[in-house]
Amino acid sequence: MSPSRYLTAPKISLLLLVKLYCTSGFPSSAVVPVLSFILSHTFPTTPSAARTSRVVEQHDVMLSSRAFRDLLQDQKGNIPGSTLLDDVLKHMWEMNSIDRLFGLFSDLAVLLDPSKAEQTEKEKIEYIQLSPTSPLGAFVRRARLEFARLPFDDIVRLWCAFVAYRAPTALWTKRLTASPLLHVDHVVAKMGLSPQDNLFHGAYAHLLEGESISDSFSVDDLERLFEFQLDKLQRLGCRVPEEMKAPLRNILESCDTVPRQAHLVLFFDAWKSGDYSSAFDNLHRYFDHAMQARERIHYQYALLHMAILQADFGCFGEAIAAINETVATARENQDIHCLNFSLNWLNHMSKAYPKQMKRAGYIGMLGSEKEGLAFLKAKARETRTYNLLSATLLNEAKLRLLSGDSVSRALELLYQSSHLNFHENVGNHGSHLLFRSALCSRLGNRNLSKMNCQLLLDCYQDACPLDERIRALGRRSFLALQKCRYDDALRLLGPAESFTHRSLKHHQYIYFCTGMAKSKRAIRHKDWMACDALLPCLQPDPSTDPELAFLVSELRIDSLVARGLYLQAWEAVEKLSMELKDEGADIMQHISLLITKADICRRLGCPERGFSVVLRAASVAFKAHLNTCLYSAVGLLANILNSNGDFEAAMRLLSAIIPKSLENGDVHATGTLYSYLSDAYMGLAEVKEAQSPASLRLRAIRVSRAELYIDRARECFHKAEDVGAECEQLMKKAIIARLRGDEELAEEWAHNHNRVWDMGMERVASSNTKGSG
Amino acid sequence: MGSLSPAQIAQLKAQLQDAVVCCTERGLYQASKWAAELLNSFPESDHDDSLTDVDSPMSEAPPHTPNAVPKDATEARLEARETHKYLLAKTFFDCREYDRCAAVFLPNIAPKGPLQGSSPPSAKSKGKGKGKAAEGTPLKPSASLRAVQELSQRSLFLALYAKYLAGERRVNEDSELLLGPKDGGVVNKELQGISAILEEWFSSVPESGRQPQGWLEYLYGIVLAKGKNEKLAQDYFIRSVHLCAYNWSAWQELGSLIGTVDELHEIAPRLPQNLMSFIFNINASQELYHVDEQVEENLLRALELFPKSSFLASQRALLLYHAKDYDSAEKVFSDILVADPHRLDHLDSYSNILYVMGVDHSPKLAFLAQLAINTDKFRPETCVVVGNYYSMKSEHEKAVMYFRRALVLDRSFLSAWTLMGHEFVEMKNTNAAIESYRRAVDVNRKDYRAWYGLGITYELLEMHSYALFYHQRATALRPFDPKMWMAVGQCFSKVGKITNSIRAYKRALHAGCYYDGGTGLSFGSQDMSALGGGVLDPEVLYQLALLYERLHDLHECSHYMELVLAQEETPEYDEAEPEDRRGGVGVTATTTKARLWLARWEFMRARYERAMELANELCQDGQEVEDAKALIRDIRARTERGKHDEMESE
Repeated sequence: MSPSRYLTAPKISLLLLVKLYCTSGFPSSAVVPVLSFILSHTFPTTPSAARTSRVVEQHDVMLSSRAFRDLLQDQKGNIPGSTLLDDVLKHMWEMNSIDRLFGLFSDLAVLLDPSKAEQTEKEKIEYIQLSPTSPLGAFVRRARLEFARLPFDDIVRLWCAFVAYRAPTALWTKRLTASPLLHVDHVVAKMGLSPQDNLFHGAYAHLLEGESISDSFSVDDLERLFEFQLDKLQRLGCRVPEEMKAPLRNILESCDTVPRQAHLVLFFDAWKSGDYSSAFDNLHRYFDHAMQARERIHYQYALLHMAILQADFGCFGEAIAAINETVATARENQDIHCLNFSLNWLNHMSKAYPKQMKRAGYIGMLGSEKEGLAFLKAKARETRTYNLLSATLLNEAKLRLLSGDSVSRALELLYQSSHLNFHENVGNHGSHLLFRSALCSRLGNRNLSKMNCQLLLDCYQDACPLDERIRALGRRSFLALQKCRYDDALRLLGPAESFTHRSLKHHQYIYFCTGMAKSKRAIRHKDWMACDALLPCLQPDPSTDPELAFLVSELRIDSLVARGLYLQAWEAVEKLSMELKDEGADIMQHISLLITKADICRRLGCPERGFSVVLRAASVAFKAHLNTCLYSAVGLLANILNSNGDFEAAMRLLSAIIPKSLENGDVHATGTLYSYLSDAYMGLAEVKEAQSPASLRLRAIRVSRAELYIDRARECFHKAEDVGAECEQLMKKAIIARLRGDEELAEEWAHNHNRVWDMGMERVASSNTKGSG
Repeated sequence: MGSLSPAQIAQLKAQLQDAVVCCTERGLYQASKWAAELLNSFPESDHDDSLTDVDSPMSEAPPHTPNAVPKDATEARLEARETHKYLLAKTFFDCREYDRCAAVFLPNIAPKGPLQGSSPPSAKSKGKGKGKAAEGTPLKPSASLRAVQELSQRSLFLALYAKYLAGERRVNEDSELLLGPKDGGVVNKELQGISAILEEWFSSVPESGRQPQGWLEYLYGIVLAKGKNEKLAQDYFIRSVHLCAYNWSAWQELGSLIGTVDELHEIAPRLPQNLMSFIFNINASQELYHVDEQVEENLLRALELFPKSSFLASQRALLLYHAKDYDSAEKVFSDILVADPHRLDHLDSYSNILYVMGVDHSPKLAFLAQLAINTDKFRPETCVVVGNYYSMKSEHEKAVMYFRRALVLDRSFLSAWTLMGHEFVEMKNTNAAIESYRRAVDVNRKDYRAWYGLGITYELLEMHSYALFYHQRATALRPFDPKMWMAVGQCFSKVGKITNSIRAYKRALHAGCYYDGGTGLSFGSQDMSALGGGVLDPEVLYQLALLYERLHDLHECSHYMELVLAQEETPEYDEAEPEDRRGGVGVTATTTKARLWLARWEFMRARYERAMELANELCQDGQEVEDAKALIRDIRARTERGKHDEMESE
């Protein structure tokens, strides 16, 4: 039994409401609520921010009679003392035979076109005439058309469905229970039949065998349901929610012919869940059915979807082949939108997965990046596709940042894009906020960056794709990580569990973020067992986000350095920087690799070797306003100066940047800077004329300053939970105490040092047992 | 025939049971259904079976036939010999593989050719259709006859009947579209072969010493009837019913061959005197629309014997319908419906009754349609009911669609043709209407509504003299229906034959006195009000008056106009009459016109008082007020002038 095309029992009730409204009118307080109720259930739903508050009722596909009750109960009716509900129910129960159903439709014809009325003198009722193009008129016209198309046995089914729908309303109002109107069919009542009689059974077989699901909604309702789902799936990139899965399956099973959109819904669901083969299957099925209805004009969209699907699952070669064909077909069919979209997507992919795209043989179709973007911008302006234009502006800004161009130009582009968003109501919030947050964190303003992420998560979670929400969460946790607040970082990733475990990609993203947080903590704690356990799990593969891939490699290098395996670390750095050079990647990544190199040199004890590297890194960072890198580069530079004995210069450098670094909030970096500063002061404390009291005093001051900074450094390292560095500072203090000649103090500091070390080891051991226990 | 003794009842039951079995064996399912229904409609027996336990030793054994129908020994032997083959053939028949079934018993006989040298004149029927020459390989007559003689009558009947049905099926398939170019022109090609075999068989009966059982006669009758050889067909049907009385299909075929009541009376003595011919009489009378007290009495007696028989009850309802007693007919049908909700036979007549009874009954008609659709969508009766409902709702295209569906299911379903014709007339599609009516009368010559419809359609086309022919046929079938006579009269008057027209109208008046109830027909004439007994139809009277006016016989004309006025009040004021029948016709448009004419007439004859009186009545009734007022002014002017003249002359 397939569902009916358009008419269902709830629609009949709505038609009754319309008729009542037109013929006997409502009290004016009831008009607006009732009319909006009718329209919300008969008109296609469009997503609009203005309607979000009524989302739940609006999409109640199977409009239950209770909805009518809720609407009408509070409205006053025509007869004083009754509610509108009573009036409506009275009319509903007055429809007491299938003949009256026909009568209803001919009455509705009169409403539309009064010349059809066969009115006698006494029946001239005042009524509101409906214009055929008004919303109500269009609804009535469609209903009448569908009714005229129905064969008689479908009309019988509709009538039985209506009777079943109406049955529970009998108890709602006292007026009705007393009246004699309460039978299913007055013919039946006149003949004196009861539901047990054979004749009743023969006529109302549908009623007695119970309502099947497919009677309570129509194909039209189904289509609306699927449109809504598709809209959400495509915009937000999520899967069908759990609560919806079971009803959806029931509906699809009970219909013989499902609307095409069902396949598309299944496609999106399968795609996001990582089920490649059934995603493919459903996609092909959808486009086969769509081909039936319309000709080849949608061929390029089929190819586009396939290309995106394949890229998502890592088959870049086929993806590129498909997208090439898409572009060709779109050109042929003059489909500008599709063409622009595919070019944009290609551009995005080549930026996001450069290695894989290169490997798959992608040669930039549009020449260089810049040319490509310029082309897209021009096209977008031409065709007035503002979301494409806005996205292209963002891409351009990103490009500039990555290549180290001026930040102000990037900001300018960002503002242009946001202006577009505002004026043309482009819903590009997610990518916009993410970009701003990235920009802020590169500039060194962590708070602003955090705030932007938070803004996205709090305010735009319904409007932006799941992808972007995950990224925002990841970034927030990284920010916390940089502040060395490991627990916070892990906690922030917690809420992601609820909606990510259903999609493989997102799951992997969160997995990597969590893994990185944990391993960073392990490195700081010098928990080599944990490191060994975690790092092999974090193997990036070609389908991982390249950003994440880079960060994981960096982390690996970090761990090697921390363990003292400098040779391997050096080799790894070299290899990574070669790869980066091939890809033409982010300069920040380049710079951080340079800094790592210099750091290795420092640890090896010959910081001067890294001088040229550090200088280059610092100058590039300064030009590009990459402040975080700048601080660490300058710190290393100061260290080199220290080792050269140029303590004065080092001190000046360091005093300049330490306040900025404090603002930044990265405690580990600040700690390092403090430790360099204390070294500088110790160096300065070595005065030429060691005998004069002024110089002695100067020395004492300098030494105490050094101690002060050592303390500060120690605190920082303590906050950062870096046991090694903390112990180093304690050792420094012990040395100073000994140099002063204060043996006891030296002993004390040595004790402290040991204690702290032991505590650190204990902590490692306990966390390991906790982990294994 | 009074009530039957228990022994007779038992024998009757046995015979009916046997009939059911025999009919089923030969594939005559409708006949067996009828017999089974009758078998189950005896009054309740004295002892109640439900009181005794199923397992108790006292429970009644299944009713075994006390006086079993005697079986023919020869036939029994032959049947026993070919049991397996018979079973095979029967299963093929049940699966509707007719050719295969026939081939089991008659493998060598070519289906299409007449046997050489022995084709009897009766087989040279008009139904040769395209006059094909003999095809196929005709065998030596003697060989084939011997083969046929080997068969028992049962098997022979089954084989030949299967052949016949196969031919009918091919006719349906070849006819393609309904009302299309090939519709109605295709003939059943098997008929010749079958009739040849049967002719042979019958001629060999005296020598072979076989006892004919009546079934083959029945089949031969069908074949002859299809070939339009009605006299001989009738003879064979009568032979058949003599030999096996309980084959209702044979009775039905016989009934369809009878054209008028006179023929029925002629045939009656030739029929066997038993219960079946009694019922046959009732049925045939009903089909001929012949309603009189004798028939009613017979029917009531039959109902006493079989109180639960839906068939007899529906016959009763149909008789009431023909007598125009719509309320009672509706009531009877309603009771049948409650008793047996899944019975679809005669539901189309019920729907006709509801249609005629007016818009008030449309809920009931809708309910009926709902019930029918739920029971079986694909029966012609169901489609006719739904079509009637749509017609009542004035959705003529949909009505036509459903009638067509009924006809596709069964091309010989008479009422669907007629009703479809009515719908086409409403849609002003005269060509299709004529075609439909013509097909209706081809199926059944006795349907007066189709003739009447044809007449009306030709009148619409302004072909009045042509229409006359059809109206006359209608009146021949229904001599006591005033509407037919009125139509004839109207045609005559349009053509210009006034005297004939007058005679026709007088016949209409005469016929109209016979009826008590409403005069509505299924032709949508709801304009005539119900006439009480003894009230003449003012419309007819008015037409008569107009005709006399055309003949310049003004005296008669005025006489009739007066009569028209007289109809406003009923002549006898009878308190026993129900309220709504007391007042006569009341003031209608016709009586108003008559009054106006009379007023003018009196004015012309200078009978001013009477004229004034009439004109005042007109004003009072609010009809034709301007004319009446103008007349009054003239009268006043005249009378004043007359008085003035008088005064002057004094």
